[in-house]
Amino acid sequence: MAGGAVIILLCLVAIFADVLMPLPYTKPNFGRLNEAPTRAYPLGTDQLGRDMLSRMIYGARVSMLVGLLSQVIIVAIGVPIGAVSGYLGGRADLVITRFIDVMYAFPRLLFVILVMSMLGAGLFNIFIAIGLTGWVGIARQTRAQVLAIKQKEYVEGARALGSRAGRLLFRHVLPNALTPIVVAVTFGIPEAIFTEAALSFIGVGINPPIPSWGQMVGEGQQYIRSYWHLCVFPSIAIAVTMLAFTFFGDGVRDALDPKMK
Amino acid sequence: MRLPRISDVQMDLLAARLSAAGVGRRDFLRVAAGLATLGAAGFNARPVSAAPKLAAGEKLAREQHFRYGGGGWWQNDPSSHDFNKDLYCNGVPALWAGLMKFNAEFQPVPYVAEKVSSNAEGSVWTFNIRKDSKWSDGSPCSARDFEWSWKRQMDPASKNPYSSYFYDIKGAEAFNKSKVPDASQVGVRAKDEWTLEVTLEGPRGYFPVLSAYLAALPAHRAAVEKYGDKWTEASNIVCNGAFVLEAWEHNKAMVLRKNKHFFGAKDVTLEKVTIPIVPVQSGALPYENNELDMTSLQTGDLKRLRDDPRSGKQVFRYPFPGTWYLTPQVTKPPFDNVKVRRAVAHAIDRDNVVRVADGFAVPAHAMIPPGFPGAIDDKKIRDIQRFDPKAAMAELKGTPFEGGRNWPKITLTMREEGYGSKPLAEAVQSVLLEHLNMKTELEVLEQRVFRAGLWKNDYQFVWIRWFMDYPDPHNEYFDTFYGKKTEGKRQAWVNDAFDKELETGRDTRDAKKRMANYAKAEEIMQTDVGYIPVAWVARWAATKPHVRGLEKNKLGENVVEGNIYFDMLPHLYIIDRA
Repeated sequence: MAGGAVIILLCLVAIFADVLMPLPYTKPNFGRLNEAPTRAYPLGTDQLGRDMLSRMIYGARVSMLVGLLSQVIIVAIGVPIGAVSGYLGGRADLVITRFIDVMYAFPRLLFVILVMSMLGAGLFNIFIAIGLTGWVGIARQTRAQVLAIKQKEYVEGARALGSRAGRLLFRHVLPNALTPIVVAVTFGIPEAIFTEAALSFIGVGINPPIPSWGQMVGEGQQYIRSYWHLCVFPSIAIAVTMLAFTFFGDGVRDALDPKMK
Repeated sequence: MRLPRISDVQMDLLAARLSAAGVGRRDFLRVAAGLATLGAAGFNARPVSAAPKLAAGEKLAREQHFRYGGGGWWQNDPSSHDFNKDLYCNGVPALWAGLMKFNAEFQPVPYVAEKVSSNAEGSVWTFNIRKDSKWSDGSPCSARDFEWSWKRQMDPASKNPYSSYFYDIKGAEAFNKSKVPDASQVGVRAKDEWTLEVTLEGPRGYFPVLSAYLAALPAHRAAVEKYGDKWTEASNIVCNGAFVLEAWEHNKAMVLRKNKHFFGAKDVTLEKVTIPIVPVQSGALPYENNELDMTSLQTGDLKRLRDDPRSGKQVFRYPFPGTWYLTPQVTKPPFDNVKVRRAVAHAIDRDNVVRVADGFAVPAHAMIPPGFPGAIDDKKIRDIQRFDPKAAMAELKGTPFEGGRNWPKITLTMREEGYGSKPLAEAVQSVLLEHLNMKTELEVLEQRVFRAGLWKNDYQFVWIRWFMDYPDPHNEYFDTFYGKKTEGKRQAWVNDAFDKELETGRDTRDAKKRMANYAKAEEIMQTDVGYIPVAWVARWAATKPHVRGLEKNKLGENVVEGNIYFDMLPHLYIIDRA
């Protein structure tokens, strides 16, 4: 539940970033570069004298956007493919499953980097890159669920009553397959956030001046022996967020999965 | 503009030497004027001042062993030491001695050649070679060796990637492009064992500069023919510089020894030099652990070392001629409007922008940094693109962007690079936002991708730098901005008046007149905002107190080895640490 609280807090910060930022995240102060935390700048200033706190707050928005929107894309691609594959079975299932296997074989981060270098850096492209590469896990899970559920008596019953395939799938099968999908999504969010951080760290993620935690760590790490605060604060933010989502995911699974009780 | 002075004694000496070679007084004056800008600091291979100057109580260390590298120096194993084949082989230049070398002012001075002279218009150059010039195996290193080396460089069969370097030499281009069957038409000829005559395509006042550069270093014919690509391995190499390559453990270290056959050997104090291959990520650690006597510094380490009372005195800035600038692409809106370009030029708060580079940049108002031939310190030119937010906004009056509104999407493109380049670009973004309300997105591209798009003139707005290859304005203006360049052209901007100044500068022998051409070119380019100079590159290094003999330039800066000046090691000596 602590995880949940942190997540709600992060969401609020992300939504109200514009109000919460003490200073605009682009506002430089060339007289006070790389300053350690002071009263005026609680988390210090970065290389351009910009307020680290404001940049971290805006960075939360970027992270949450990436975490949530990329999952929307993942669900939108993965669930229908998995469901169709599981429901139709036979040759269609075979083709789709093999395709999923092939996609699965690509190392995830490398694949994302490849897609990013084709699309170019930018927030929107990160959604697409993570979405395009992240749907396979969910598709597999959905397929497995659908395979199991379509054999259940109530589905058979609905079919006997003359329900058409679409109605069967969306009214009877999918709602009952939802639990593991929800759990997968909660675990997918921190993974997406981390992927964005990794991309921005190596410089193919978000374009400046928009701040991102990963980018802040990436730019700050070469100064760690001189200006520690540049990379320590965003690192903590990433770590706390990851932890919160992982705890939250565990909690959701415990709550929803009947086998865990 | 300041020209280096040439002493009267040297003038007389030069006049005597030239007249002995049959050059009349009038021609002498022209040659002297040319040499004055190109540098004539001395005609000895090594200035006397280089000898160790010990203070009271100091004495030379018994072991003259010098270790340097790190922080970006030799972060990768050299591909070879064959500068004659590939000028970017990243090898050790101190193994070689060219006909001329650059002194600490980055002016060419005679080196293996004891006398350098030309005909009146500067289209034929004669190098008289020292008779004590030897290879490290003791055999003579003569004019024939240089003839062979330079022709090897132009030979299409040797596949030298930078052979166009010598296209000023008559027939070089035709030979290099296989339009003529052999090198017999090429204008490099050993008239006898000790005289090399070079005939050029036309008057080329800067040819001594070319002949002093890395690309003009020689190669040992017998070793090349015997060992092929492996001829610069420690066991095979025959060289003619102040040092020989004693050992080369690939990706680990190189060890140099003093070359006892070097013509200036009696003035070389160091006996042994060790250059470890250190990744840049190690930063200044090896130096701080006393594993190195001299190191280059990166942005992350500079402040810490400088603020420390003990190491603070060891840190120094060294000249590294390079310029950061912006290219507004004149073919892409909104930069197709010269008023917008002028507004941007006036909005760049250079003094503040350079602060973010943490010491690695200084404000620039022209292409050539102070202290180099062609540097301009002229209020008129300073004012063209001076920082003035009011003037910037005023330029926008009457354009669709009046008052800083209606900007289209603007992407600033740069390549991945260290030394604080990204913070500089971000600072540029922030001053444009502040003074013109111009929002820009920064796109950082991988080297190769960046270059491909750059040469297609694809980018709307570019953050880019030029590192000087050789100290002549021809390099800063012609090699970068000349409008009729067919390849490697960095921007779409073209200006005929500008091109004309460059052509005149290239073909003029008189140094003063040439510099006027380049100053005019700078003025034209800045007025039309073909580029926006932002910052000159600064580099930092640190050296232990027991290392002495670093040369200083006239600005009082220590000069360390780079791709122009590579005469550092012969000057160094180690004093006793007691």
